[in-house]
Amino acid sequence: MSANDSEIKMVMAYIRPDKLSAVKKGLAEAGAPSLTVTNVSGRGSQPAKKGQWRGEEYSVDLHQKVKVECVVADIPAEDVAEAICEAAKTDEKGDGKVFVLPVDEAYQIRTGKVGPEAV
Amino acid sequence: MNAVALQLDPTAVVDAVNWVWVLVVTFLIFFMHAGFAMLEAGQVRSKNVANQLTKNMLTWSVGVIVFFLLGATVSSVAAGLTGGPDYTLFAVFDASNASVAADGGWVDWLFGAVFAMTAATIVSGAVAGRMKLRAYVTYTVALAGVIYPVVVGLTWGEGFLEVLGFTDFAGGMIVHGMGGIAGLTAAYIVGPRIDRYTDDGGVNVIPGHSVTFAVLGTLVLAFGWYGFNVGTAAAPLAAGGGELDSFGYVGRVALTTTLGMAAGALGASAVAMYKTGKVDTLYVANGMLAGLVGITSNTDLITWPAALLIGGLAGAQLPVVFEFVEKRLKIDDVCAVFPVHGSAGVLGALLVAVPFLTVPDAGVDPVAQVVGVAVIAGWTVLATGAVFGALKAAGQIRVSREHELEGLDVSEHGVDTYPEFGRPDTVADGGFVEDGGVYRPDGGLPNDGGIKLVMAFIRPDRLSAVKQGLAEAGAPSITVTNVSGRGSQPAKKGQWRGEEYTVDLHQKVKVECVVADIPADDVATAIADAARTGEKGDGKVFVLPVEGAHQIRTGKTGRDAV
Repeated sequence: MSANDSEIKMVMAYIRPDKLSAVKKGLAEAGAPSLTVTNVSGRGSQPAKKGQWRGEEYSVDLHQKVKVECVVADIPAEDVAEAICEAAKTDEKGDGKVFVLPVDEAYQIRTGKVGPEAV
Repeated sequence: MNAVALQLDPTAVVDAVNWVWVLVVTFLIFFMHAGFAMLEAGQVRSKNVANQLTKNMLTWSVGVIVFFLLGATVSSVAAGLTGGPDYTLFAVFDASNASVAADGGWVDWLFGAVFAMTAATIVSGAVAGRMKLRAYVTYTVALAGVIYPVVVGLTWGEGFLEVLGFTDFAGGMIVHGMGGIAGLTAAYIVGPRIDRYTDDGGVNVIPGHSVTFAVLGTLVLAFGWYGFNVGTAAAPLAAGGGELDSFGYVGRVALTTTLGMAAGALGASAVAMYKTGKVDTLYVANGMLAGLVGITSNTDLITWPAALLIGGLAGAQLPVVFEFVEKRLKIDDVCAVFPVHGSAGVLGALLVAVPFLTVPDAGVDPVAQVVGVAVIAGWTVLATGAVFGALKAAGQIRVSREHELEGLDVSEHGVDTYPEFGRPDTVADGGFVEDGGVYRPDGGLPNDGGIKLVMAFIRPDRLSAVKQGLAEAGAPSITVTNVSGRGSQPAKKGQWRGEEYTVDLHQKVKVECVVADIPADDVATAIADAARTGEKGDGKVFVLPVEGAHQIRTGKTGRDAV
């Protein structure tokens, strides 16, 4: 029986920027080293910070985060999500979240392969 | 050797030394434009940098020509009409006479011109980020041709304020006080930038894009200021030859200028620290300049402890006056030019009349100082108000709302200052933080018990409204990314050194919001409502299914994790 019921899944995680290196290592160990990383800002349960311009304070409630996207076919998406969770955890508010999304189809640009093989 | 030296005409040596000195300090003062350009560029948002830099260059270029053709004459007339020396119309054209030029007349004119242009360029910092370029240039013509020359005519030109006994050594009031007061008046009439004040009267902080440039500009200005102050102790040699002329007090000027600058930085730091608990970098920089402005009018007369006191007070008043202008007067003085140049200049011009602060034989008349400050301030407010009022009445003062939001770089100049690294502007909107209690609209299971990702592409300037809308819809948690996109919005023309290129990828912000208990449709509607302007380019909102969710900190999975 194949993982993910032969479907393709995208694992999308929002993590602390300083946990990126640990998450990369964790993903490699879980057998899913391919990933895309974006610098993002986000608001969740982490308390707002104070910014300052010419002595005046303002509230910064969008925190710097890193978004990791990882599309898998042969590796169970739940395993990948758990690997990210383990690697990104600090127990402080602001650790982030991981979501699993369905992917309808995949194409590898260089080879022209389609479907789970392309992943 | 002695025989050769004796053949030299001593007068020629004296003139040569004096001219070289005046030219060197003139070049130093000119270099202050580099300082103003960097200081102002750093304090504006990244979308308005090229506009600010262009204004700085045009201030010099337009202003110096107008000052040559008109300003110097107006100055002589203003002096002559109010009891000063006889004037001749077209004095400037006399100065272009070959014999006058040979006597260094043009050197003296240039020395005056760099002071005039310093006063002119201060105003651009106050009205940054929303004023039409042609309106600003029009005001520069008025300032360089009439407003500043009248002030000089009444004072240094030996008009009635000079006759009365008003003293201002290097322009603490005449140049900086005048520029700061003009800036405040201008900023009042132009009105605040969009989003600077909320509808209910609250204040939004709009951070500038680079503290680095602001500090670089500050230190370049401080360097040029040595030319401004120490340089005004001009004519090192007396006409007789061989004897020191005004260099007799140049040491005092050099010392008090240095101490005033340092004390200004410390004064502003101390008050900023008292107010916020932190030493604010921009206040240290602004304070350094306020200290310099404070001692510029009195630097030749004060004792060294007075330099520390006046410079320190000029720095300390800065955070207090800035807050007053911002919160009480509700005037959007972007680069704090009034607290730095205006109020600090007034302070210095008044404190020089306090006897124990000056050298024993200073003999400054307090009445003359008060009258001088009042006349200069009154004239500046009236004249600036008239020019800006006329521009406003003609509907020519502000760029359109669309252009202001887009940024003056692109809309006024077709230039993107940071094409590779630029980020959309940030307006600090005060944020919206909900403690705990998430609002849940119904008792059942929305989204058919599933988890949904609401993904929206919106205009950068609508982010603040969307954040507010999402918080009100009970879905405050979001992730925001700066993206570029193409949709139905028409392509823009970009420009780099005059060559056009097409920009069809517009700056957008992508908002992602994962929900479980709140219906995704409600969230999408909230985003659409908050992001709508009715123009092409408002963006789109999509809803995607999510199969699994994990909260990293708690290890919760499924709907609970969201």
